[in-house]
Amino acid sequence: MARANAKTMTITDEFAAKIKLDHKKERLMKWTPILVLVVMIVVFTAIMGNAFFSVGNLVALLNQMSIPLMVALGLTFVIMIGSIDLSINGTVGMAGSLAGVFLLNTRTEFDLGIWGLVLAIFCSVLIGFIIGMMHVKLKIPSFMVSFAFMNICIGIGMLSYGGIHPTIEDPFFRSVPQMSFLGIPAIAWVAIIVFVICFFIQEYTPFGRYVYAVGTDETVPRAVGVNVSRVKVMVFTLAGFCFGVAGVVGALRLGQGQVGIGTGLMFPAQAAVVIGGTALSGGKGGVVNTLIGVLIMTVLFNGLTMVGINPHIRTGIEGAIILIAVILTVKRGATIISK
Amino acid sequence: MKKMIALLLVVGLMMMGLVACTDSDSGDTGTEAPVAEAPADDADVAEEPDEAEAPDAGATDWSSFVLDPSQIPQEKLDTELHIAVSIRGLDNPYIVTKIEGMNMFSEWLDSIGQAHTTQVLDSGGSNDVEINNMRQFSALAGGNAIAYADPNESAIAPALAEAMAEGGGFMGTAWNKPDGVGPMDFTPNWVIHTSADNFTGGYETARLLFENMGGEGNVFVIEGMLGNTAAIDRRRGFDAALESFPGITVAHEDTGNWLTAEALTLTETWLNVTPDVGGIWCANDNMATGVLQALDNAGLLGEVGVTGIDATDDMVAAVRAGNAVATVSANGFLQSSYTLAIAYAAWTGLLDVEELPQGYREFFTPSVLVTTDNVEQFFADFVENAPSFDFTNIFYARASAME
Repeated sequence: MARANAKTMTITDEFAAKIKLDHKKERLMKWTPILVLVVMIVVFTAIMGNAFFSVGNLVALLNQMSIPLMVALGLTFVIMIGSIDLSINGTVGMAGSLAGVFLLNTRTEFDLGIWGLVLAIFCSVLIGFIIGMMHVKLKIPSFMVSFAFMNICIGIGMLSYGGIHPTIEDPFFRSVPQMSFLGIPAIAWVAIIVFVICFFIQEYTPFGRYVYAVGTDETVPRAVGVNVSRVKVMVFTLAGFCFGVAGVVGALRLGQGQVGIGTGLMFPAQAAVVIGGTALSGGKGGVVNTLIGVLIMTVLFNGLTMVGINPHIRTGIEGAIILIAVILTVKRGATIISK
Repeated sequence: MKKMIALLLVVGLMMMGLVACTDSDSGDTGTEAPVAEAPADDADVAEEPDEAEAPDAGATDWSSFVLDPSQIPQEKLDTELHIAVSIRGLDNPYIVTKIEGMNMFSEWLDSIGQAHTTQVLDSGGSNDVEINNMRQFSALAGGNAIAYADPNESAIAPALAEAMAEGGGFMGTAWNKPDGVGPMDFTPNWVIHTSADNFTGGYETARLLFENMGGEGNVFVIEGMLGNTAAIDRRRGFDAALESFPGITVAHEDTGNWLTAEALTLTETWLNVTPDVGGIWCANDNMATGVLQALDNAGLLGEVGVTGIDATDDMVAAVRAGNAVATVSANGFLQSSYTLAIAYAAWTGLLDVEELPQGYREFFTPSVLVTTDNVEQFFADFVENAPSFDFTNIFYARASAME
C-alpha cells in the first residue's frame, strides 16, 4: 500500500509526509518521560503499598528532589546551548561550605544571617560568570574550564572551614528544614521558586529564545545580530546561580556546611536532564522536561531505597533503569529537518 | 646463607606472633569491652604478647624502647628532615587530626633541635596521585624523609612503600594494606603498618546501641563505602554483636558512602516505612551526623539511638547532649604522631628496623569508646584541648599485635 502510494507521490509530498511523521513522533516522545514516571510510581506503590504514597514520603520526595532539581535546572540551559558544565560538585559544595561559614556556626566568627547566604550564592554566580568568560574569550571547551573550576571550588570550600565542618547554630536557619507552608517543605518552596524563575526566563524573555537559537545553530542568531558570546556567558552565570542556591539549600538541609554537599550530584543531574528529553547536542528540551527527569530520578532512588535492594547490586539496577529510561525517552531516528 | 637465617627467624617470629595473637583474640571477641578507656591502659595490656614474641629472656623489651634525644648524633639533628602525611582529602574532620598529629610531632622535634620541614600530601582520593606524591616527596628528600601514609586503597600500600624505598626514607602506613604483603617485605623503609581495630569499633557501638534499645526493636544500618576495608570490618563487628541480640531486627540497610547527605536521605526515606525504629547504626560519624539531622527534621532527635565511629566534634557534642549513644575515637593525633616518631627513630639509626619483631611492625592502635559515661572527660582531653604525648616512648600507641 505504502509502496503503491510512493509511486504516485511527488518529492514534495514525500517531504511533507516525512515532516508530519517526525512531528507525530516528537509529540509521542514528549509524553514518554511522563509515562516512565507514572509506571515507576505504579510499580513502587504496588510493591511498597501505602508507605510509598504516604504524606511523609511525599514530603521526603519533595525534600530529596529540591537540590537535584535546582542543579539540573542550571545545567539544562548549559546543555541547551550545546555546552556542558562539570563544575557542579565543586560549585554546589563551595556554596554550601560558604553558607555554613558565613552563618552563625561552630567554626568561624561570622554571623551574617541572610546576607551570608546571599554572599555564598554570589560567589557561585561569580564562578559561573568566570567559567563563561573563559569559555568564550579564551576559547577553551566548556567541559575543560568547568572541570578545572570544580577542583578550584572544592579547594575554596575546604579552605573555608579547614577540615572540620561548620555546624550552623543560627536558630532560624537551623529550623528551616522543619518549616513548611501549605504542607510543602520550605526547601521545596525554594526549588519551586527557582523553577518558576527558570521557566519564566525560558518562555518569556528574548534571552530564553536566544538559548534555543544558539543551541540549534549559533551561526544563525549571530547572523541576525545576537551577541552569542554574551548569551553563553549569561547561561553559565545563570547556572552558577542555580548551583549556588542548591548549595545553600543543601547546607540548610544538612545543618552544616561541607564540600560533601555537592558530591555525587553531577551525573544524576546530567541523567535527569537527558531523561527529561533535553538533547545533549543542544537546542532542544527545556526546564519542564528537566522537572520530569528529576522526578524520575528522585522516585527511582527513593523507591529503590524503600524496597531495600541489596546495596551491592543496587547501583547496577539503578544504572540499568536509567539506561532503559534514556532508551525510551531520547528522540532517535528523526531527520535533520525536524531539529 | 644470611638470608636463609633471616627468613627462618622471620618465620619463627611470625609463628610466635600468631600464637600470641590467638591468645589475645580470644579476649577480643568476647562481650567484655575490648576497647580501652584510655591509651595508657592499652600499652599495659599490650605487654602480654611481647613475652611470647621474645624468644629468649635476654631479648629487647620493645614496648619500653625509649628514643633518647641525647643519643641522636648532632649530624642527624643538623640534617634537614622532610616530614609528610599522605591523605586522601582534607574534607574529613578525622583526617585533620592526623595533620594535627604531625604538627605535634613537629613541635617536639623543634624542642630537641631537629631541623625539619613538614608537608601534607593530598591525593584527592586518587591512587595514582598518592603514589606520585610519595615518589616525588621521597626523591626530593634524598633519604632524609619520614612519612605517615593513609593509602587510598589497600592495593597501593606496597607501591607507596616502594616509592619511599627508592629514595631511602622511612614510612609507616595506616588502615589499608593488602593481605600477605606488609612492612616485613620492605625492610627497613616500610617501618610499620597500624590500624585501629575496626571490627571491635563496629562490635562495641552495635552492642551499646542494642543495649540502649533494651535488646529489642528495629535498627537501620548505614554502611560505609562498599569494598572499603574499614567498612567491611566495621560491618562484621556489627553482625557479630547482632548474633547475641535475637530481639533486634535489621529493618533497613544500605551504603551511605561515608557521606552526610546520603545518610540523611536514607534515614528520611526509611522512616516512612519503619517509623518505630529504635536505633540507627552508622559506620562513621560523618553519616551519623546526617542521621541526627534527619531525626531532628522528623522530630525524633533523642528518641532514637544513634552510633557512629570517628568521634568527630559533632558526634561528641551529640553524645554529650544525649542525642547519640556512642562513637569511637581512633585518635588520629596518636596514629600519625607516633607513626612518625617510630619512623624518626629508624631514620636516626637508634631503632634498628631489621631487629623489630613482626608484632611491632604491624599492630593495632588503641581506640576510645566514647559514651555518655566518659564523654565529658573525652571532651576535655581531646576536643577542648589537644592531647600531649611523650614521643620518646615510641611504642606508646601500640595496643596489640595484628592478627
